[in-house]
Amino acid sequence: MLSNDDVSEGERFMNQILRFDTMSTGMEIPEMITAHIMDLGGEVNHHKFLPQFNRFHPLHFFLGPDAGTVPENYSCSSYGINTVGIIRAPRGDGKEAIVLVTPYNSLKITRAEALSMGIAYALFSLLARVTWLSKDIVWLAGDSRHGEYTAVASWLRDYHTASFGDLKHSEICAASNLSEMKTMHNSFRHAGTMAAALVIKVTNRSTEFEKDALTIYAEASNGQMPNLDLINIVNYLAVHGQGYRVKVQKIWSLLNVWWLKSLGQLIEMLGKLAGSLNPQWNFGIPVSEYVECTATLASSLYNQALGVPTGPHGAFRDYQVDAITMEISPKFSSSLNNRQYEILLHVGRLVEGVVRSVNNLLEKFHQSFFLYLLTSPSRFVSVGVYMIAFALLVAPLPLVAASLFSDATKSNPDAEKDKYASKPASTLQPAPTFTSWKWLYAAKQVLVVHLWSAIVTLLPYFVDQIPDSSPTTKLSIWIVLSIITLLFLDSFSGSSFPSTIRSRDTEWILLKSVTVAATFIGLCLMSVINFATAEIGALLLVPMCLTAVPLRLDNKVNTLRALIRGACNVIFIFVGFPVTVFFVLKGALEGFDNMRFGDFWNWAESLWAWNSATYIYMCMVHLPCWVLCIQTLLHRF
Amino acid sequence: MYHGSPLLLSVLGPLTAIKIEGQPNHLLCSLVSVIADFICALLIRATGRILQTARGLNLKFLGLDTMLEDIEIMPSGDIAALVYLWNPFTIFTCVGFNTSPVENLFVVLSLYGASAGIVPLAAFGWVIASHLSLYPVVLVIPVILLLGYCPDTPPRKLFLQRDLQKTGAEGSTKNHVQHRPLTNKPTEATFFWWRVILFFMWASIWIAYVLILCAISVKEYGGLPEMFKRTYGFILTVKDLSPNIGVLWYFFAEVFDFFRNFFLIVFHVNILFMILPLAIRLNHRPCFLAFVYLAISSMLKSYPSVGDSALYLGLMALFVNELAEMQFSFFLFCGYVGVSLLSPVMHNLWIWRGTGNANFYYATAMVYACFQIILVVESVNAMLNHDRKIRKLCTTTEG
Repeated sequence: MLSNDDVSEGERFMNQILRFDTMSTGMEIPEMITAHIMDLGGEVNHHKFLPQFNRFHPLHFFLGPDAGTVPENYSCSSYGINTVGIIRAPRGDGKEAIVLVTPYNSLKITRAEALSMGIAYALFSLLARVTWLSKDIVWLAGDSRHGEYTAVASWLRDYHTASFGDLKHSEICAASNLSEMKTMHNSFRHAGTMAAALVIKVTNRSTEFEKDALTIYAEASNGQMPNLDLINIVNYLAVHGQGYRVKVQKIWSLLNVWWLKSLGQLIEMLGKLAGSLNPQWNFGIPVSEYVECTATLASSLYNQALGVPTGPHGAFRDYQVDAITMEISPKFSSSLNNRQYEILLHVGRLVEGVVRSVNNLLEKFHQSFFLYLLTSPSRFVSVGVYMIAFALLVAPLPLVAASLFSDATKSNPDAEKDKYASKPASTLQPAPTFTSWKWLYAAKQVLVVHLWSAIVTLLPYFVDQIPDSSPTTKLSIWIVLSIITLLFLDSFSGSSFPSTIRSRDTEWILLKSVTVAATFIGLCLMSVINFATAEIGALLLVPMCLTAVPLRLDNKVNTLRALIRGACNVIFIFVGFPVTVFFVLKGALEGFDNMRFGDFWNWAESLWAWNSATYIYMCMVHLPCWVLCIQTLLHRF
Repeated sequence: MYHGSPLLLSVLGPLTAIKIEGQPNHLLCSLVSVIADFICALLIRATGRILQTARGLNLKFLGLDTMLEDIEIMPSGDIAALVYLWNPFTIFTCVGFNTSPVENLFVVLSLYGASAGIVPLAAFGWVIASHLSLYPVVLVIPVILLLGYCPDTPPRKLFLQRDLQKTGAEGSTKNHVQHRPLTNKPTEATFFWWRVILFFMWASIWIAYVLILCAISVKEYGGLPEMFKRTYGFILTVKDLSPNIGVLWYFFAEVFDFFRNFFLIVFHVNILFMILPLAIRLNHRPCFLAFVYLAISSMLKSYPSVGDSALYLGLMALFVNELAEMQFSFFLFCGYVGVSLLSPVMHNLWIWRGTGNANFYYATAMVYACFQIILVVESVNAMLNHDRKIRKLCTTTEG
C-alpha cells in the first residue's frame, strides 16, 4: 500500500522538478530522474528521438507503424529525450511488463505535469521495494516538446524494432552538446512484452463537480479500443476505492437538445408502463441518464469514427498493448497548489491498485472485449448488440440489388422475343445473347468511377506539394482536379452500353443494382475495419442508394409520390456530399459562426496524417457511391 | 522454407540473391513471374483459337452454322488471355513473388499441346506441372481425352445421329450404304489410341529425365526419397498449418492427432472421387473438364493461392460463348470481389490488431470455398444446358 512516506517523497521530487524554471538544454530533468531512479535501484536509459513529420504518403495506410521518415534538416537541440526507468520484478521472469507514462514538456514544465511525475515517482519508489511484483515496471517520462503522442510512439517504435534507427544522428549530437550524458544511459533497455500501459496526466482545469474527477480516454487509431477490462478496473477502483467521479468524453451540446429529452421522456414512460405490467421488464431509465448516455455514446462513436487517437495511449494499440489515458482534474473551486498531497495519495493508490490487478493476471486480458462503444464509464454497448442495428441498416442493400438485377434480366427476354418475332427465320432459336452477362457494362461504369475515386484519394499527395497556398485554395484545386479527372475518364471510357443491347430503361436499373452491391461490399468492409465510420456512413449512404431513381422518370410520371421521391433524392444527394456532411456536422456541434471553406482540407489532412481509414472510406466508398447516384439521377432515356 | 521442386529452385534461387541497386529485392523473380504469365496468356489465346475453329467446324457439320450466324460470337481466346492477364489475382501473384505463374504456365502448356495435337509438348507440360505442384496429375484424363478425340465438341451422340441420317439419306437415294462422307468431318467418334500411347511414351521419357535431373541436383541432400518426402509428402500430409486461403489448415489445426491420417485420406480422396463422374459426363469437352478439375483442386488443395484461381478463371473465359447463359454471374462476381477484399482485412484484424481471432479469417476462407463451389456447379450446369440446347436445335432442324 502506498504509504505517506512514499507520497512525501513524490512531493519532494515534484518540487525539485519545479525548481528548474529555465532550462537551457532540456537535459536537467532527465538527469535528475536518472539520479533518482538509480538511487532506487532501478535501471534507466535515455531515448532520443526526432519528431516524425506526418505527411501524406499513399503507402502509409498499408504499412505498419514503422514507416517513419527522418526529416532532413534537424538540429541537435530539436531532439526530444525520453527517460525510461525499469524495475525488474523480483518474482517475474522478465517476460511481461506494465508501462506507466507521464508526459511532460521539457521546455516549460507546468505544475500539473510535475504533479503527474510526482505520482509516478512515488509509485516507482514503492514498487522498487515490494516483493509481490511479477511483471516488470517501466516508467516512461516522455518528452512532449514535439507532442505527447510523438514521444510515446517513437519510444514504442524503437522498443519493438530492436535496432536504434537514429543511431548515426545521435552519435553526432552526442559529440556536441549532449556529451555530458553518460554512455551507459544510451543503450536501449528492454523489459518484457507489455501487458498494459497507463498514461497519467493531471490538468489544472477544475471540474464543476464536488468530487475530483478522472477522465478516461481510450480511443486509439481507427476506432480501436483497449480491452474493456482495463477500463473496468480503473473505473471500479476509482469509484469504489478512491471516491473519484469517473467520466468519459461526451458531446456537451447534446445535453440540452429538446428532442433528445422528449425521446428520453417517452422511453422513461414506456419503461414505467412495462414495469407496471410485468415487474421483470425493467428497461426504463431516467431521462437525465438517457440523455447523458446518448451524449457519451455519440462522442464515443464520433471519436472512433474519426480514427484519430485521443491521446498518447493510441500509440500502444498499434503494438496490441492495451492502454488508456487517465486525466485527473481537481474538484470545483480548488486548485492544484494546496491539494497536491491529497491528489498524490489518491491517484497513487488508484494506480497502485491497477498495477496490482494487472500484475496478478496469469494470462492476458480476456480476448473478446475489444469491440464496444462506451455509454458511460461503467456501461458499454457490445459488438453483438450494435452489429444487429448495423446489419438491419444495410440488409436492404443486397435485397434491393438482387431484386433490381432480376428485374433487369427478366424484362430482357421479352424484348429479345419481340426482336426475334420480327425475324421469322430465326424464331426457333433462343440463341445465346449474353443476357446474363449484361451487367458487365454497368460493372464497367462502376469500376471506372471507383478508379477515379482511387485517383481522388491520391491527389492530395500532389496538391500538398504546392508551396505557399492556403487550405482554401488547396481544397479548390483538389475539387477542380477531381472533376476534370472524372470528365476525362468518362469520355475516355466511352459509352457504357453498346448499341446492340441498348435498352435504355433497364440500363439505369442495372447501374443502380451494381452501385448498391458495391456500396454494400464497401460498407461491410468498413464495418470490420472501423465500425463507427461504417455506421455513420451507412446512415448517409443507404437512403441515398435506395431512393435513387432517374429524375426524368419522376418527371414523366408526375404524381405526388414521384415528386416527393425526386425531392428526397435531390436532398439526399446534396446532404451526402462529404464536404456538406462535414460542414453540417461541424455547424451542429460548434456553431456556424467561424467556419471557413478551408476547414475541410485541414480536417482531411489530419485524417491522413493519422493514417485514418476514414479518409480511405470517404474517398473510395462514399464518394464513388455519391457520384454513381448522381449518374443514376441524371440518366437520360 | 522452400518445399517446391529442386529444379525450379535452381532456376529461381540465384535470382533471389541478385539485388539491383535501388530496386525492391524480388524484382527479378517478379519479372520471371510476369514473363511466365505473358507466355501463359499467349498459350491460352492459341488454345482459344483452336477451340474456336473446332467449334465452328462442329456446328457446320451439325448444320447449325447458318442458323447461328446472326449471333455474336466472341473471340474467346482473346478474351481468356485478357482475363488471365488483367485478373487482379494474377497481378497479385506477380507482385508477391509466387511460384504459381510458373506452375500455371506448364499446366496451360500441357493443355495447349494436347489441343494442338503436339504430343511431346503435352507430355512435357503435364510432367513438369505435376512435378511442380502434384495436383495437375489429374489433368492426365483431359489430356488423354483431348489427344484421343479432338478439342471440345457437342455430345458425340449427335454426330452419330447426324451420321446415320446422312448415310441413310444417301442410302435411300443412291442405294450405296457403305460410302461415308468422312472427309470434312471434324470429329472422329473413334479414339486415337496411338496418340495416347505416344503420349505415355513421351511422358515416361520426360519423367525419367526430370527424375534424373532431380537426382543430380539433390544428390548431396539425401537423394530422391528425401525429395519426395519434402515436396509431395509436404503437400499430402499438410504439415504447414500457417493460415492460407484454403480450408485445410484450420481443420488440421483443430483435429485430434489420431484422426489426422483418416481425414488426410478423406480430404485427398475427395478430389479423386469427383474425377471419374465428371470425366464420364464431360468426356466430349476435355478442355472444360480440365477447367473443372483445376477449379476443384484449387478449392481442396492443401496450400492454395490466388494464382490457382487466376488460372481457372482464365480458362473459364475460354468458354465464354458456351457459358453465355450462366446464372448467378453477378452474384459470383460480387462474392469474389467481396471475399478478396474482406479476407486481407480479417487477416489484419486477427494477426496484427489482435481484436479478431482465427475464426474471422477462416470464415472468409469458407465463404471463398463456397463461391468456388457455386462457380463450378453453375458453369457445369450452363455447359450441359448448352449441349441440351444444341441437341434440341438438331432435332428441330431434322424435323
